[in-house]
Amino acid sequence: MTIEMQRPKEVSQEMTEVRVVDSDIHPSPKRGELTPFLPAKFRSLFENRSTGAGSPVYYDAPDFAHSFAMRTDSFPSDGNFAGSDPDLMFRQVIMEAGCDLLILGPLNGGGQTEEEHHAVAQATNAWQDACWLDSEHNWHQRFRGSIVAAMEHPEAAAREIEHWAGHPMMSQVLIGAELRPAWGDPRYDPVWEAATRNGLPVACHLGRGQHNELPMSPVGFMTYNHDLMVSYSMLAANQVMSLVFDGVFDRFPDLQIVFIEHAFNWLLPLMWRMDAIHAKRGPENGLKRKPSDYVKDHIWCTTQPLDMPEDKLEFTRSLEWMEADKILLFSSDYPHWTFDDPQWVAKHLPAHMREKIMYQNALQVFKNLPETVPALPGQKRAL
Amino acid sequence: MDPEGRPVIDASVHVFFASDRDLRGYLNEPFKSRGYPDVDVAWFAPPDGVRYAPGTQTDVVIEQQAFGQPVQRVPGHPGSDPELVGRQLFEERGVDVAVLHPMSNAGILPDWHLGTAIFAGYNRMLVERWLDSGTYADRFRGTIRVNPNDIDGAVREINRYKDHPRVVQIGLPMQTQHPYGRPYFRPLWRAAVEAGLPVAVHIEMGVGITHPPTPSGITRTFSHLAAYQPMTFVWHLLNMIAEGVFEEFPELKIVWADGAADMLTPFIWRMDSFGRPHLEQTPWAPKIPSAYLADHVYFVHGALDGPGADAEFADDWLRMTGKEDSSMFGSSYPDWQMHSPDDLPRAWTPEQREKVLWRTAARLYGIDIPVPASA
Amino acid sequence: MATVDEIAPGEHKVVPIGRWGVGVYNVDGRFYAIANYCPHEGGPLCSGRTHGVTVVDPEVPGGAAESRAGEFIYCPWHQWGFELATGTTAVKPEWSIRTYPVRVQGSDVIVTA
Repeated sequence: MTIEMQRPKEVSQEMTEVRVVDSDIHPSPKRGELTPFLPAKFRSLFENRSTGAGSPVYYDAPDFAHSFAMRTDSFPSDGNFAGSDPDLMFRQVIMEAGCDLLILGPLNGGGQTEEEHHAVAQATNAWQDACWLDSEHNWHQRFRGSIVAAMEHPEAAAREIEHWAGHPMMSQVLIGAELRPAWGDPRYDPVWEAATRNGLPVACHLGRGQHNELPMSPVGFMTYNHDLMVSYSMLAANQVMSLVFDGVFDRFPDLQIVFIEHAFNWLLPLMWRMDAIHAKRGPENGLKRKPSDYVKDHIWCTTQPLDMPEDKLEFTRSLEWMEADKILLFSSDYPHWTFDDPQWVAKHLPAHMREKIMYQNALQVFKNLPETVPALPGQKRAL
Repeated sequence: MDPEGRPVIDASVHVFFASDRDLRGYLNEPFKSRGYPDVDVAWFAPPDGVRYAPGTQTDVVIEQQAFGQPVQRVPGHPGSDPELVGRQLFEERGVDVAVLHPMSNAGILPDWHLGTAIFAGYNRMLVERWLDSGTYADRFRGTIRVNPNDIDGAVREINRYKDHPRVVQIGLPMQTQHPYGRPYFRPLWRAAVEAGLPVAVHIEMGVGITHPPTPSGITRTFSHLAAYQPMTFVWHLLNMIAEGVFEEFPELKIVWADGAADMLTPFIWRMDSFGRPHLEQTPWAPKIPSAYLADHVYFVHGALDGPGADAEFADDWLRMTGKEDSSMFGSSYPDWQMHSPDDLPRAWTPEQREKVLWRTAARLYGIDIPVPASA
Repeated sequence: MATVDEIAPGEHKVVPIGRWGVGVYNVDGRFYAIANYCPHEGGPLCSGRTHGVTVVDPEVPGGAAESRAGEFIYCPWHQWGFELATGTTAVKPEWSIRTYPVRVQGSDVIVTA
């Protein structure tokens, strides 16, 4: 049911507790909206390249020509793309679904060179600041942004983090998932250094790369969106192992990494597997602790996609064994077609983990989130 | 038998030629004079230099000469002497029957003619030395190695050996150019099914024409590689399910011989959850993905697998996703990772131990094991 | 709840019955009614698209074809499909949607809730 609401002239004086933090939600620019924020030297280049260009999709989600991999009810009436209208997002995610704070993760793609990747990141950050996090669009104070960082250009990414750190509405650093090599390589250290110095977690979101970063598996390309998307978790599993075995958390003891949309049930057997090899060959890596300890202290996974077996008890036990209350952050992935509703997610979590996963962990990971926000009359409370 | 009197089938014993010269004795020209990599290479080898379990080197001393090096007299390669291997497995380690897997790098050579010729040498060696002669021949079962880069040649090799009574399995490399669901591989599955033999997929030795071992390139440490690479089966399996391989070949049985069965549980949960809408794209695989596991998918249970020997919930975990019916103990003799039934989780039920130690392998490979009175 | 003229073949109308509303569908002159609620995560089912199911057809390029066009509703969120006539699916029959009996009386479409 649609909730009709007028934007109040003033924010309510009444405060309400944050009970749901959504750590994966995707704003997109309206047509042409990003261009003015691009560094001048790239504007015409990017425009020229996109002239006459069509959809670049590989691995299409179901009914793609009609859904574009989105919730089909999330397209605004002005003809722009899903996620481009702050008011519609506010209505569907905050008022109707009951998420209290939204960590926006824009996925505006990249370029062909390091400089181009960095230019898109710069533009995306300035665009968020002007079009989403400003007092007009964020009048309700429920949106938080991501400092998008181009890992292709670690030094520039570190400067970009410094530039935006301290912005009261920027809550994390956001990087793509597909770049080679894996995150343990020391070339990325400037990014981890800048993030930890500023108390910002680094979130890693999957997208699509090019060629063998599409990604491609060690045995070649998957055939369908089904096998590709399910096996995407293998990429994250490798990033976890790289971060742990290559000593990133010993180099940066305050680093917090959030894996977004990579699923998470695989983390349980992965921790066993890492601990098993560590028990046999540990000294080779010079780690100070056993691998699963690093995971529980440094790595977070978002809940969407929440995958479950037929027998829900198996899922519950798996959550208990992995101590999921030390690992998970709720996420919806709105407006993507794999959207998870917060009430639906909460009801599948063991009661004693529910509050930690739905919001308490997020309040700890994202350092600048408030515990209370101005109340919104008529808002659904999911928890 | 294990200490409690249960039979033990070791579903993963690695066999080798004693030396390169030994292998060349099984090759004809022009292949005998070709250049190809040794099974053991320095790239991402264990940094402590210990590739194989202590005591597995053969007593036989062989002469070999590396390029530009003086002639060396060295012990034969671990896993190359049927008498020593048989003595260690059957008389010291309590194994009743061992399934042998010849270890090579021929499946990832660029020249597929050369690869097929080398595999033929391996297969002749396996049958002559291990299955048809020697003290322990009746307790060895063999895996015929075939080349996925030469489908016609692979089918011919399967047909050459399929009627040998001690050949129980076809062996393929884990590392491929394409995932095993792609239609290019179908003649292989057809030949295996017609031969009535399961197909084991095992990591090939060394490096060759493979993609990097992770989706993000090479690893930086040996530990990372050793723990990660066995999970490669996930891509093959997801792709085989979505491509309808098990629908087209209902008799096909695949053994993921490097273990990592624990990953099956989360990945099949995910594939099922994501399956329903995607099935509209793959009508050739109309069932929910987990329905294709039973009687098709098997695993060797290796040293890195499971929640650990002391995990109290290990029995519950093994039950999930049918792992208790698909896992088979395999020691990986003589690899450095070699493990024994003593390392298996203590919380497994007696029935689970029976299945993993021998019942599932006996059924899959058609191995007659005298059932102890107590079982 | 509606007149026959209001819902042309291939069209539907959501009428205010129950908590979520009920979608009345005209598939080639046959009328079906379903709850506007997806049992999976609660999505607004009737905002989704109707189409058929994919079947194997070795005779056509690509090896697949659409069968029974228009007879299934697909949720706008996760694209789970349900047969309009029965509310069920081939893949997981226990996940079904609620359907309502529909009859046409003269020019009226009558839904029994």
